[in-house]
Amino acid sequence: MSLVNYLVLSGILFSIGAVTVLVRRNAIVAFMGVELMLNAANLTFVTFARMHGELQGQVIAFFVMVVAATEVVIGLAIIVSIFRTRGSASIDDVNLLKS
Amino acid sequence: MTAFVPPEIDWAALTPILIVLGTAVLMVLIEAFVPTRVRRAVQTVLAVVALGGALVAVAWRWGVVQSQGGSELVGGALLEDGPALFTQGVLLLLSFAGVLIIADRYQGEDAFAPTGAAIPGSTYEEEARRAGLVQTEVFPLTMFAVGGMLVFPAAGDLLTMFIALEVLSLPLYLLSGLSRRRRLLSQEASLKYFLLGAFSSAFFLMGMALLYGYSGSIRLSEIAKAVPAMAGMDSLLLAGVVLVIVGLLFKVGAVPFHAWVPDVYQGAPTPITGFMAACTKVAAFGALLRFVYVVTPGLTWDLSAFLWGIAILTMVVGTVLAIVQTDMKRTLAYSSIAHAGFVLLGIIALDVRGISSVLFYLLAYGLATIGAFGLVALVRERDAEGNITGEASHLSQWAGLGRRSPVLSVCFALFLLSFAGIPLTAGFIGKFAVFSAAIAGGAWPLVVIAVLASAAAAFFYVRIIVLMFFTEPATTADGRETTVVAGEGLTTVAVLLCAVGTVLLGVLPSPILDLAASAAKFML
Amino acid sequence: MDTLNLSWLLIAIPLASAGVLLVLGRRVDRWGHWLGVLASAASAAGAIAMLVELLGRGAADRSVGVHLFRWIPAGDLNVDAGLLVDPLSLTFVLLITFVGTLIHIYAVAYMEHDTDRRRFFAYLNLFVAAMLVLVLADSYALLFLGWEGVGLASYLLIGFWNYRSDYAVAAKKAFVMNRVGDMGMLVAMMALFATFGSVNYETVFAAAEGTNQGVLTLVGLMLLVGACGKSAQFPLQAWLGDAMAGPTPVSALIHAATMVTAGVYLIVRSGPIFEGAPTAQLVVVIIGAITLLFGAIIGCAKDDLKKALAASTMSQIGYMILAAGLGPIGYAFAIFHLVTHGFFKAGMFLGAGSVMHGMGEEVDMRRFGGLRRYMKVTYATFAFGWLAILGVPPFSGFWSKDKIIEAAFVGEGWRPLVFGSVALLGAGITAFYMSRLFFMTFHGEKRWNDGHSSTPDTAIARTPVQHPHESPRLMTVPMIVLAVGSVALGGLLSIGGVFTSWLEPVTGVVGDHEPVLPVWLLMTLTLAVVVVGLVLAWRQYAASSVPVIALAGSVLTRAARKDLYQDEVNDGLLVQPGQYLTRSLVYGDRQVIDGAVGGLGRVMVRLGDVTRRLQTGYVRSYAATMTIGLVALVAVVLATRI
Repeated sequence: MSLVNYLVLSGILFSIGAVTVLVRRNAIVAFMGVELMLNAANLTFVTFARMHGELQGQVIAFFVMVVAATEVVIGLAIIVSIFRTRGSASIDDVNLLKS
Repeated sequence: MTAFVPPEIDWAALTPILIVLGTAVLMVLIEAFVPTRVRRAVQTVLAVVALGGALVAVAWRWGVVQSQGGSELVGGALLEDGPALFTQGVLLLLSFAGVLIIADRYQGEDAFAPTGAAIPGSTYEEEARRAGLVQTEVFPLTMFAVGGMLVFPAAGDLLTMFIALEVLSLPLYLLSGLSRRRRLLSQEASLKYFLLGAFSSAFFLMGMALLYGYSGSIRLSEIAKAVPAMAGMDSLLLAGVVLVIVGLLFKVGAVPFHAWVPDVYQGAPTPITGFMAACTKVAAFGALLRFVYVVTPGLTWDLSAFLWGIAILTMVVGTVLAIVQTDMKRTLAYSSIAHAGFVLLGIIALDVRGISSVLFYLLAYGLATIGAFGLVALVRERDAEGNITGEASHLSQWAGLGRRSPVLSVCFALFLLSFAGIPLTAGFIGKFAVFSAAIAGGAWPLVVIAVLASAAAAFFYVRIIVLMFFTEPATTADGRETTVVAGEGLTTVAVLLCAVGTVLLGVLPSPILDLAASAAKFML
Repeated sequence: MDTLNLSWLLIAIPLASAGVLLVLGRRVDRWGHWLGVLASAASAAGAIAMLVELLGRGAADRSVGVHLFRWIPAGDLNVDAGLLVDPLSLTFVLLITFVGTLIHIYAVAYMEHDTDRRRFFAYLNLFVAAMLVLVLADSYALLFLGWEGVGLASYLLIGFWNYRSDYAVAAKKAFVMNRVGDMGMLVAMMALFATFGSVNYETVFAAAEGTNQGVLTLVGLMLLVGACGKSAQFPLQAWLGDAMAGPTPVSALIHAATMVTAGVYLIVRSGPIFEGAPTAQLVVVIIGAITLLFGAIIGCAKDDLKKALAASTMSQIGYMILAAGLGPIGYAFAIFHLVTHGFFKAGMFLGAGSVMHGMGEEVDMRRFGGLRRYMKVTYATFAFGWLAILGVPPFSGFWSKDKIIEAAFVGEGWRPLVFGSVALLGAGITAFYMSRLFFMTFHGEKRWNDGHSSTPDTAIARTPVQHPHESPRLMTVPMIVLAVGSVALGGLLSIGGVFTSWLEPVTGVVGDHEPVLPVWLLMTLTLAVVVVGLVLAWRQYAASSVPVIALAGSVLTRAARKDLYQDEVNDGLLVQPGQYLTRSLVYGDRQVIDGAVGGLGRVMVRLGDVTRRLQTGYVRSYAATMTIGLVALVAVVLATRI
């Protein structure tokens, strides 16, 4: 199987992630969209590492996973505190700040 | 399989970063082991000493770089050169002032919620407030952010840049949500900042992946080397470059990636707003400067339309929207967007002078920004019973402030004049330097727009000055009025520091301009 | 050479004095005002030393640049802070320091009872320093610094008695009008910088000749906007009348003799730019012509002594601006008139101050009358100033104003006829309103309550009892000195064209130009209209009685009393292109600040609203903006590859 297919897949995943952020109202689901985008990037890294025949890309993927994990920690903390305040995790409910 | 070769690490060159990050870790331990009573004092002193020490270390490394030239550290992951050290110096100076403002408190209350996890308005929160709980976690968080900022402009590869981006952003997401008053707005700012920030860092990461695919490396210098060999893969390269730049433009708040700026600046605790408005922008521009100057010189033709469009949009939208704002923090937020547009001129110039002008502008802008937000934090509402409540951030509440506290108003006017670029302030020299660099780089149509935008912008800065000095103070029906609190003097020190710097840089800019020029020479 | 290298001292001394007075505060109340006088006098002495030095040189060597320090080093583009001493700047320096010193001395007595006299002198010194920076600067950047400095000093001094709210309003109006002018200056500077890469006079003027006319026109018009703001020229003139709220010495120094003439200086200094931009030059002349009539008409109806003098200042500066717009032929006369005007107008303002001093701060001329018997020195000095401004030979004004009228008649086509006639007509109106002012104040029957004679007019009897008396020596001596200048200065400087040849290194050598009408005819015509104006005023205000309460008057009188509706016109002129300016900025309108964007210009509102609509507060729409932006950018960048 051609390696390009993996790139196409990662492109699709990235787009799905982006669309999720744009259309889903639940903060957690939107956040999952971001995670999906990060993992699409990971897939790209690993694929290119394979194409170039070296390991750097795979190592980067590990770094990204760690970063994604810390993002989850902080993201959930923020979302939970908002949920406790408002009783809702909808990102459309938080629009007090606007011009 | 090639054997893993551990990189040579020049620990001496890492001292500024190590001091800051080491202190941050130490502060986490202090949170755990030092009694509550003395914790705040210990944290404050530690933060101030660490930032001062790191500044000294930067000065020392500056001397080394001047004599021996720049060098690659940790196998090229970090770079030690003129722009990196200059940016780090500016960052440390600004965070020094920022930390002073963060640490300041009035009547025993600082700007942060007593317990960030408590539900706003709950009895638990009220009890925590009465018990005098203090969220001293803001200090380690701030220090971690500063650490990330120091690494950001010095990053030699995209992975380091990405990690630094996250290290500086994640604490800021949290800090934005910790405001003592107007908790709902603060939490909202935090959520927005976090979601959009994560969204943009995903773009950055994808761009990084594409560039890796194109060049087989994430080292900036390697990517630059691969640029001329655009054999059929050029769309990979271009898309990657655009995505990475967009990730960075998000951090500097360039249009159309600016939407978070006004909301977050307004919602976040004001000392944090000042810190992040000044320092994040400095760090992100430092990184953008490096990326654009190292990677894209071979792509000028492809990218010029993109960067010109962004610069024009940023200047125009920032200026126009700043005019229609009614909230002080939002006005300053939009003005900071417009300033991002001005700095972009220096980046677009792609010229040695561009580097030095950007570096100078960032210092000038940072000083005025920290000072201005520091003062915003002091202007409070007082209700009919005489209790001091939240900040009086509505523009109308600033009417007639000049008569009540002339020194504060004069300082604020000074910062506004610096924003507006009036001669004898740092902002004028900065604009002058950036515009002349852009003209030298052939971007004169941009300069014309920039001049018009700054002329229009001057109106709303002057409007605020007119409001402060020549308008009668407004009286509200419920007896609320605007007052200026004194705090413990830390903010005053920081503001005076910024004011003196703003004037000095305006009157005698040559030492710093020379410094910035010699920094530009040592770009790796 | 050494003398000129020390020219920075001229600026430093008054500045240091201002600093001392402000920093030491109340401690120096007892002798602070004398320090102020001394500082100004020291500058004047220095200026005279410089004059001697320059006169000792050949005409070609009279322009000397004095480098101070490198202000902004930016690669190849350096801005140096330097001074330029040449006949033009030195003329101004002499005027500023000499007249300034006299007014300082006058103010010692005039402000005697003010508890804040020390602060007043600090501001006056600050003004002198800033004004010297303005005229001695060798680049637009430094000029702008002085420009802002005099604006600040002017603002501080107009609002000196700022516990009176209408005074504070006046200060605010002056502040804002000047900001409009400053924007013009800034745009001009930026345009100069963008074109020439420098704002230094030398570089700019050297390069101006071969430059695109469009650029020069833009720069010229923007400089004119700046000049209009500072010199109270149409349409930014409204602030000058209100600025009279300041103490009278301020009106004399800043709003008659020096600061308001900065616009004339700017235009003459920027001669090389205007010569490359005939359109801009024409606009300058038109503005000058409009203002000179405008001011003269307003002057005819004002009953407030100082406001009438302010209108006259406006009108006289209109003459100067008109002359400056005529090009090299007019430059020398513009400056000449500026100098003589500096003397006689300052003298008259001091006289007005003396009258107010003797009449319990009354300014309404309808409540004066017959004062010549009570204040003889004031009367005599004022009379010389009056004769000078009328242009009666051989007084100063005759030599300078007549030349401007002659110059206005030079040229081809419709211009000399139109501008010449306006200048001529202006001279007639000037004669009328100045005589009106003079007669109402010093001649006719007294219209004030002297306390013992039974006055039939109840309107008079109700007013407080006045004891008009001559002012102290400290006030009369400066008036006498200025009166001597009003009498003799014009004639002295005209002998053999001393003044014009002195300025020649700057203004250029001008050959003989014949006016479209013979010179003798013009001179006769001028004198004729002056005599007509004078006689009319005599009949109405000296020979017959003047009502204490102003009559309703004709349409024109009513309009003139309301400053020819200049506030209203201003609204019309400035509001249309951007109401934002006048409403939200000028008057600090609450509406805008409270969020109802009623005051904004339509374009701004629409633009702001459209973009603002994007700021919905919804995270998802922000993310959508970002994504759309990103996709568009990637498309644009990739499109360049196809």
